[in-house]
Amino acid sequence: MILHPAVLSLMTMSLLAGIMVLLAGAVGVRILFSWNIKSGSELQLSLERQTYLVSTILAYTFVFQILSLFLYIYTADNLHGLFVGAMCAAGTLNVNEYGYPVLLLKIVNFLLAGTWLIVNYADTRGYDYPLIRAKYALLLLIAPLVLFEAYEQYRYFSGLHADIITSCCGALFSQDTRNISGDIAALPARPMAIAFFAAMTATLVSGHLFYWKGRGGWLFSAVSLVAFLVGVASLISFISLYIYELPTHHCPFCCLQEEYGYIGYALYATLLGGAVTGLGTGVLMPWRNRGSMKQVIPQLQRTLTLVTVILYLLFTLIVLYRIKFSALTLGW
Amino acid sequence: MNMISLTNISKSFHVGKASQFVAVNDVSLDIEPGKVTILKGPSGSGKTTLMTLIGCMARPTSGRIVLSGMRAAWMASEEPAGVEITSLPERFLNDIRRRTFGFVFQQFNLLKGISVLENVMLPAYPTGEDHREFAKRAGVLLEQFSIARHASSPVEWLSGGELQRVAIARALINDPSVIIADEPTAHLDTALSREFMTIVGTLKKAGKTILIASHDPIVFDSPLADRVVEMRDGVITSSGPKP
Repeated sequence: MILHPAVLSLMTMSLLAGIMVLLAGAVGVRILFSWNIKSGSELQLSLERQTYLVSTILAYTFVFQILSLFLYIYTADNLHGLFVGAMCAAGTLNVNEYGYPVLLLKIVNFLLAGTWLIVNYADTRGYDYPLIRAKYALLLLIAPLVLFEAYEQYRYFSGLHADIITSCCGALFSQDTRNISGDIAALPARPMAIAFFAAMTATLVSGHLFYWKGRGGWLFSAVSLVAFLVGVASLISFISLYIYELPTHHCPFCCLQEEYGYIGYALYATLLGGAVTGLGTGVLMPWRNRGSMKQVIPQLQRTLTLVTVILYLLFTLIVLYRIKFSALTLGW
Repeated sequence: MNMISLTNISKSFHVGKASQFVAVNDVSLDIEPGKVTILKGPSGSGKTTLMTLIGCMARPTSGRIVLSGMRAAWMASEEPAGVEITSLPERFLNDIRRRTFGFVFQQFNLLKGISVLENVMLPAYPTGEDHREFAKRAGVLLEQFSIARHASSPVEWLSGGELQRVAIARALINDPSVIIADEPTAHLDTALSREFMTIVGTLKKAGKTILIASHDPIVFDSPLADRVVEMRDGVITSSGPKP
């Protein structure tokens, strides 16, 4: 293992997050099976008190979980100089077979943790714990993933040795590479650009409809999720070409470096942030017109919709800016 | 008007430890609106604990408390009137406590170093109400209790009787429907205790629900008391005739 401060921070963070979700998961199981708001039993009142503490601790845990994605990418990028062949985070993550699965787990947990925070926020605004079961059911889905991520991350970092020869991003994200990253890199630029701008426009239109008319919440959420996936694919397929001003360089990690003004962090933060708020809007739909949530969720969903649209718009504007001022011209 | 209904209320301290202590044990009680209810009993009988539970200052170990007929601003319109307070999340509980209950404590618990007027206005600050509005109301209360001339004086300059009136004015600043007083006459002489009961009479006429914990005969033998509930060892030994 390489005892880099960021590695130690990530390991400590994941250990703490693992312990917290385990403890919270135990309370979650009791809540799922024993919660009865109509009962005045000692168990029920004890669960009501415990849920304040558990929700508060988990909220902080998940904020750290969300931040850990960026720290993980930053760490991988920061360590690339130690490995022969690595030019950026792409090479560091390829040092052993755990690097990319951990990244994928962190992205999934980012989305789930963000969604949980939104559900928790809505639940704590209701006077009758309206989303309590949904909140803890979601936690029980996230908990094994957070634990698995912690384990995989340990295996990844413990398998990092400075004498390992790895591949550079040029090889990993090449159109000729026969794996998923190569397949995405090989997606044709023009259809991908059309798909990207269409997905962003669809999000904007459905968001406008939901924000002003209160209609199409499910559609907006689904479209924003599709836009996220299209955005990631577009980043590798054609946006990266304009950033690097090279017609064959599709790396999604080099843009995190100083050479490119750390533009990757702005792109990923806006895209992932928009995906979380868009997803959260959809997750809240079933409770939109229920009891105490009638006065909370519609307003919260409007805010989430606005945030999603603004973040995706920012992402699109950054992309347009790079396309406009890039020295690269693609012959579409 | 809100009736306060207690169902199987218990409160234990140090739960699960050798020192576990049951302060209130399986108490069920209905407190009528607009009436004076006295909780009578020796020290350690559970009166104060029960009142802190009713006043949303603590949560029971088990059981429920319902404020029937109450409609809070944050309740959904189709919800029937009535709030079950023991399950409420903290932010809603604070709102109920501030707007529904006024407290008069045994030691008055006035803050030294700040003026009488500021002491009276203190419970109104967290409600977010306009300062001029509640300052005006505080002035009216000080006039009502004949202590307006002390408005700008620090509370430590006041006599026992004046302190008591300041404490009552403070309890009324948010215009609560329920006044909870815990041994309010414990540190007062006979004359001041009677003066307190006169004020209770005025509040009762104004339609307030009044709950007093006391073992002072001036309080529980008062003709103003509509109901005397006796407690001992955390249980109700006599719930008295309903008014």
